[in-house]
Amino acid sequence: MYSSNPARHTPASGAVLQVADLTVAFNTPHGRAGILEGVSFDLFPREILALVGETGSGKSVTAKSILNLIPAHLREAGGRVLFQNKELLSLPEKRLRAIRGRYISMVFQNPQSSINPVFTLGEQIARLINLYLPGRVARIKKETGCSRKNAVKAVAEEKLKEVGLTDIERLLKLYAGEVSGGMAQRYRIALALLSYPEILIADEATSALDVTVQAHILQLMKNLCQNKGTAILFITHDLGIAAQICDRVAVMYAGRIVEIAETKEIFRNPLHPYTSGLLKAVPKPGKDEPLSFVPGIIPDFVNAPQGCRFYDRCDRAMEICRERKPESLNIGDRHVVSCFLYGSGAQKR
Amino acid sequence: MKARADSYDMMARKVSRDHRKVRWFQLRRLLKRKITFLSLVIMVVTVTVALMAPWTAPFPEQGRGAVNLEHRLMPPSSNYLLGTDVYGRDMLSRVIYGARISVFGGAAIVFLAALIGVPLGLWAGYNEGVSEIVISRTVDLVLSFPAILVAMIISILFGAGWFMAIAALLIGWWPWYTRLVLGEVLSAKGMLYVEAARMLGYGKLYIIFHHILPNIMTPVIVMMLLDLGPAIIAIGLLSFVGLGTQPPNADWGLMVWEGAPNILSEWWIAIVPGFAMFIVVIAFNIFGDALKEVLDVQQ
Amino acid sequence: MNEPLVELERVTIRFPDERPVFRKPAAWIRAVSDVSLAIMKGECLGLVGESGCGKSTMGRAILKLAPLYAGNIRFMGEEIGRLGEKAFNRYRPRMQMVFQDPRVSLNPKMTVFRILSEALHLNAAVEKTAYLEQAVKLLDLVDLRPEHIYRYPHEFSGGQQQRICIARALATDPLFVVFDEATSALDVSVQAQVINLMKALQEKFDLTYLFISHDLSIMAHVCTRVAVMYAGRVVEVREAAALFESPRHPYTKALKNAVPVADPEFVKQLGILKGEVPSLSDPPPGCPFHPRCAYAEDICKKEVPGISPLGEKSWVRCHLHEQLWNLGKLGNRKELS
Repeated sequence: MYSSNPARHTPASGAVLQVADLTVAFNTPHGRAGILEGVSFDLFPREILALVGETGSGKSVTAKSILNLIPAHLREAGGRVLFQNKELLSLPEKRLRAIRGRYISMVFQNPQSSINPVFTLGEQIARLINLYLPGRVARIKKETGCSRKNAVKAVAEEKLKEVGLTDIERLLKLYAGEVSGGMAQRYRIALALLSYPEILIADEATSALDVTVQAHILQLMKNLCQNKGTAILFITHDLGIAAQICDRVAVMYAGRIVEIAETKEIFRNPLHPYTSGLLKAVPKPGKDEPLSFVPGIIPDFVNAPQGCRFYDRCDRAMEICRERKPESLNIGDRHVVSCFLYGSGAQKR
Repeated sequence: MKARADSYDMMARKVSRDHRKVRWFQLRRLLKRKITFLSLVIMVVTVTVALMAPWTAPFPEQGRGAVNLEHRLMPPSSNYLLGTDVYGRDMLSRVIYGARISVFGGAAIVFLAALIGVPLGLWAGYNEGVSEIVISRTVDLVLSFPAILVAMIISILFGAGWFMAIAALLIGWWPWYTRLVLGEVLSAKGMLYVEAARMLGYGKLYIIFHHILPNIMTPVIVMMLLDLGPAIIAIGLLSFVGLGTQPPNADWGLMVWEGAPNILSEWWIAIVPGFAMFIVVIAFNIFGDALKEVLDVQQ
Repeated sequence: MNEPLVELERVTIRFPDERPVFRKPAAWIRAVSDVSLAIMKGECLGLVGESGCGKSTMGRAILKLAPLYAGNIRFMGEEIGRLGEKAFNRYRPRMQMVFQDPRVSLNPKMTVFRILSEALHLNAAVEKTAYLEQAVKLLDLVDLRPEHIYRYPHEFSGGQQQRICIARALATDPLFVVFDEATSALDVSVQAQVINLMKALQEKFDLTYLFISHDLSIMAHVCTRVAVMYAGRVVEVREAAALFESPRHPYTKALKNAVPVADPEFVKQLGILKGEVPSLSDPPPGCPFHPRCAYAEDICKKEVPGISPLGEKSWVRCHLHEQLWNLGKLGNRKELS
C-alpha cells in the first residue's frame, strides 16, 4: 500500500539545521554503548519541530550532541550536523563557543540549576546584554543620556517583559534560588533569546513546571517562532505539547528516529508501530477506557540487537526486522518512516 | 489451593539456591584483578607476621629492644637480612615488632574514631534540634585545636608511651567522622525510602541503623582507609618529640627518626621502616578502592 | 449502603516556616486548610492540583506522615487523627502508600526480598518462615518473576520498580492505598501498564484508592470521583468525567484549559492563567483563588466560599458558581479567562 515511490531520505536544502546520520556511542565499563544510530532530520526556519521520545530514546543526547556539549573523551560521534554550512561536530571548541548562545541557544529542564546561583539575575542578564546587544545599549544611552548601567537595565526590562515577567525591578535583585520554577524558566528563555538566535533547543523545558505555567511558556514559544522566525527544536515526552504547538513531529526510539511527519498527519496516520502504540497509550482527558501500552522495555544499548531495535516489542515484526536495520524512507508528502513494513522490503499482507 | 502453595514454595527455594551462587561470584570478582589480590596478600601477611612476632622475627629479643653492640650499623647481610641499627639490633625484627604498634595502633585509632564519631553523627543528623547543636559545637571545638597539639598536651599531662599516644590521637580524630556523617545523614533523611519505613511504623533506631547507615557507609569506609596512613605517621610524629612510643619499644615512625642522622651512610636504618609504612598504606588504599567499587552496588 | 472508609473533617495542616530550636516559629505555612472529604469504600478518589496545593500533604496526613493541626480524620468510623504513634500502629497494616519516585522510595542497599519482608512484618497472618514464599507470591501479583527477589532496585526499570512498590503496599493486606504521584515519574507507555495493574488489583482485592496527581489527563482513566485542590483547599469534587466535561469552578476550568491535549484537531488557544500561586504562609483573605480569577467580585475577596452541593457526593466552593454556570462561562466553549 505504501510502496508509492519511496526514496531514501536526503537532507533538504533551505533547512537551517541539518542533522545527517548522527551516531553517538559512549564508552562504558561494560562496553561500547550505541546511544544514537543514524539520527537524521532537518529543521526549517519559522517552524517548531517536536522531538518526541521516552526515557532512553536518546533525545537529550541528540540535543547535546548538536552543540557538542558531551565531553569528547566520553563519546565517539559520527555523522554530520550542518549549520550555516559549517560542520558542527568537527568544529574546534573556540568556534563552537561563538555559535552556542548566539546562534543556537538551549534551554534545559531544570531552570534553577542552569542559572548561576552565585550572581543575581540582574548581573547575569546585564553581562549577556553587554555581550550581545552593545549597539542597543549605546543607542539608548545616546537617546536618553542615561548611564550605561541604566541603559542596560532598560534593555533588561524590555526583554523580561517580553517573556511575561512582572515586577522586574525587584526580580533583578534576586538570586536563582529565590524565584519560582516558572519565573526562572521564563528568565532563562529570555536569556536564550537575547541574541536573536536562529535556533532554540528546548530540552524538556516545561517538564518540571506546573501545567498552568507550562501553558504560558508554550504560548510564548509559539509567539516567538511566529514573530521572530526562530526555529525551535522542542524535545519532550509529552505528545500533548507536540500536538498543540508543534508543526512537525519526529518520534525517536532507542537512539533512532522512527518517524517524522507533520503534526496532523502523524496523529491521524501513524505509520511506525511504535508511534501508533505510543498514541494509544496516551490518556485522553475525560475518557475512562482502559489504556493500552507497549509491552516490554528498551533494549540494552551495549549488546544492541543487530536488526531493528523495536523488534522485541513490535506486534507486526517480520523476519527481516531481526536481521537488518530499516532505512529511512520518504512516504508521501514530507512523511518519513524507518520500518520494513513500508518500501521495497515490505511484504504483501 | 495446596498445589499452588507448593509451587510458590518450590519457586522460592530455587531462587534461594540461585542467589547463593550469585553471591559467590561477586566475592570472586573482588579478587579478580591481580593488584587487588596482591594488596590483600600484603595486608594479610603484615597482620599475621606482626601478630606472630615472637615466632616470625629472627631475633625477637632484639626486636623488643635488646642491644647487640658488637654488630652495630651493619648493612644487610645473610645473617641480618635488613641490616642492623645504631644499637646493633636486627632491622627485620625491629620492623616486625614496630608493626605491632604502627599498624595495629593506626588501625585502632581509625577504627575507634569511626566507632565514636559515626554514631554521634547519625544521632545528631537524624534528630537535629538540641542534639545536633550540642554535638556540632563539640565537634567544632575539638577540631579548632590541631590534633597533634591536643595529643601532645594529653601526653604531657598523663604520661608518655604508645598507649597514651593512641588515646590522645583518638580524641582529636573522632570529630572528622561525625562531621562527614552529619552531612550525609541530612541528605539521606530526606529520601523517600526513609519515609516508606516510617509509614510501615518502624522506629528511629531501626531506621537509623538499617536505612540510613548502609547508605552512608561508603564515604566512611573510604575515609577510614585513607586515614590509616596519617594515623601511622601521627603515631610516629609523637614518638619524634618523645611523647609516644618510648625506647626500647619502637614504631616505624620512631625508627625513621632514630635512623635519620645516619641516612647518608647507613641508609637502611631509616629507609626500611619508611618503606614498610609506604607499602602498607598503599596496600590498604588499593584494597579500599576495590572494596568501594563492590560495595557501591549502584552503577 | 456505601460507607466512607476514610473521612476527613475540617482538616488543617500547617508547617513552621523555619524551625528554630529554642523559640516558637514566627511564620506558619498552611499546607491544608479546612478540608472535608469522604472517601467511600471501594472507590478510587482522585486528588488533583498543581505544586504546593497540599494534595501530597493530605495523603500523608492520613497515614500519619504529616501532623494534624486541626480537624478529624476517621478510618472506618474510628478516630485516628489524634492518635499517638504507638496507638496508630494497629491501623498501619490497613493503609499503605505508593510513593512518587521509585528510584528513591526503595532503599538501594536492600534486596527486593528485604524490602518486601519489612512490609510483611506488619502482616500478622504471615509467619517469618513463610516470608520468602509470600514475597514470591506478591511479585507474581505484579507481574514480576521469582528470580527478581534477590536483586537490587537499581537493576530494574522505572516501571518494574514502581510495581515492586505496589507489591510492598499489598504485602500488609491493606484496605486503603494512597498513590502519591505514583505514575508521574514514568514514561507514558509504562504509566499505562501500571495504571492497568492498579485497577486490576483494586478489583481483585476490593481496595479503596486515593490517587494523587498533578496530571488531569489520567484522572478519568483511573478514578471514579475527582477532587481539585488549590492553595490548600478543595475547590471542587465531581464525578471524573463530569469534572472534565463541565467544570464548575473557575480554577478547574483554567486547569483543564491549560492541559495540552494529544489531538491536533482539538487545537485550542491554551488558556493562560495570570498571576502566581499565592504564598501559603500569608494567603489572601477570602477565596484563595480570587487574585487570579477573572470573575472575582467583592464577596470573593472577603469570605471563604462555603460548600455548595451539586448532587450526590459532588460539591464546589465558589460564591459565583451558579451565575457562572448559567452564563455559560464555564462550559466547553472557547470562553477563557
